[in-house]
Amino acid sequence: MVLSTLLVAALVGTALGAFLQKGRFCFVNAFRDFFAYKDSRVTKGVLAATLLTMVFWGIAYQFGYYQTFWTPQWGLTGLVGGFIFGIGMTYAGGCASGTLYRAGEGYLQFWLTLLCMGIGYAAFTVAFPTLDSTYFAALTVGEGVSLFTVTSIPAGLLGVGVAIVALIGYATLVGRASTTAEFGERADVAQLHLGALRAPVIGLRQFARGTATYARGLARAWRTPIAASKQPWDPRTAALGITAAAVLWFTQHSIVGVTGPEARWTGYLLSQVGVEANSFEYWGSVLFQGQGVDVTVDMVMIAFVIVGAFLAAVWSGDFAVRVPKRRRLPNAVVGGLLMGAGSRLAPGCNIGNIYSGIAELSVHSFIAAVGIVAGVYVMTHWIYREVGCAI
Amino acid sequence: MPSIDDVTNTPDELSDDDATELFEEADLVQDMMGEVCPYPQVEAKKGLQQLESGDLLVQETDHVPCTENVPRAVGDDADAKVWRSGDATYRIYLRKR
Repeated sequence: MVLSTLLVAALVGTALGAFLQKGRFCFVNAFRDFFAYKDSRVTKGVLAATLLTMVFWGIAYQFGYYQTFWTPQWGLTGLVGGFIFGIGMTYAGGCASGTLYRAGEGYLQFWLTLLCMGIGYAAFTVAFPTLDSTYFAALTVGEGVSLFTVTSIPAGLLGVGVAIVALIGYATLVGRASTTAEFGERADVAQLHLGALRAPVIGLRQFARGTATYARGLARAWRTPIAASKQPWDPRTAALGITAAAVLWFTQHSIVGVTGPEARWTGYLLSQVGVEANSFEYWGSVLFQGQGVDVTVDMVMIAFVIVGAFLAAVWSGDFAVRVPKRRRLPNAVVGGLLMGAGSRLAPGCNIGNIYSGIAELSVHSFIAAVGIVAGVYVMTHWIYREVGCAI
Repeated sequence: MPSIDDVTNTPDELSDDDATELFEEADLVQDMMGEVCPYPQVEAKKGLQQLESGDLLVQETDHVPCTENVPRAVGDDADAKVWRSGDATYRIYLRKR
């Protein structure tokens, strides 16, 4: 590997780790807490990061500043694997990226989760020849594709267009919620029709106000940069930083993935202790693509996510070696195994399929994202079974 | 109008002295060290169900996100304050409304 490539990988990884840690950018939190008690702070951060990244990746693609997309074949595998992954990440209490940044914060529980994800990858690899001819053969529908590459609309424009549609959709939901509250129970049909028309406008106004308030807060934080840097950050700030790192990575390498590189790490580490990783079809020809089992640049990037999270946690006074309660060990073991296996069965994790996959408009990822969110929904209801969920 | 709660993420922080003083008043203390989300949220909701209005529930935790997520989870059921020790442990004070 060239030194400059390594430096970019280290920079992107460290930045991602630091922003994930500072913004508590947790995909489990984003969906689980939204279902459990309608808390949408992190959900908004995740949406903002995904849409912003989509816009900038579209522009970068249009002008040729990109290397490759990640577009696996699409089909029902996304639903099945995504669902298993979603169950796993909710039970583990951390998604693929969340597990990495919490490992950097000193959680022994999430190191155990990582280990069990590794076991999940290895088990999948052993079973791959059978799965390939049964599970994948039966559930795969077509070749994977990114919508950026198949439409005649310029990619940058398509990205902006989708982002605007998403924003208006969001504004309508927000606006409708507030008009319903305004009219209360006495609302008649005519009022509700009026409300439906006004909803997007009201929602957009609220969005503009919220963004302005956020920008003022950010400007205020800049006046005391050191003190502010140690405080927890708004997930939207993390979204901006993550977008910047992901755009740099897209121009230099590819989309941001987590579990793919982790599965490669598993093969590489096993090969270091004498396992013939290369002789397994999944590692040899799929993950390492016949190039031999060695450290690849995305593996370096992923490792630096842990480093970045560690540095940010130490800086903020959030680092500590945390020993889990014994009754939480099943969460790490079972959650890790499900995430490891689920991410290979889909294929892809929350980062590959929700963040990167939607941002690159990959058909496979739309399906897998639905699977993951459905998994989170079911598992959240099970964990909250005694106190109840809002949604 | 959006309420102030839409733009502030963290509940009020307690000083070291206030935190110590209030801790003695606690009607229920939950040891959440080593626990991760969402279990402290669930336990906080369950804990508040056992308490009377005005009672104080304190959670001791080493999980950073809990300082925001637990107060959010209990919502209008309790007034929340947080104390950061500075070495990665936190206390969440929930007074039932």
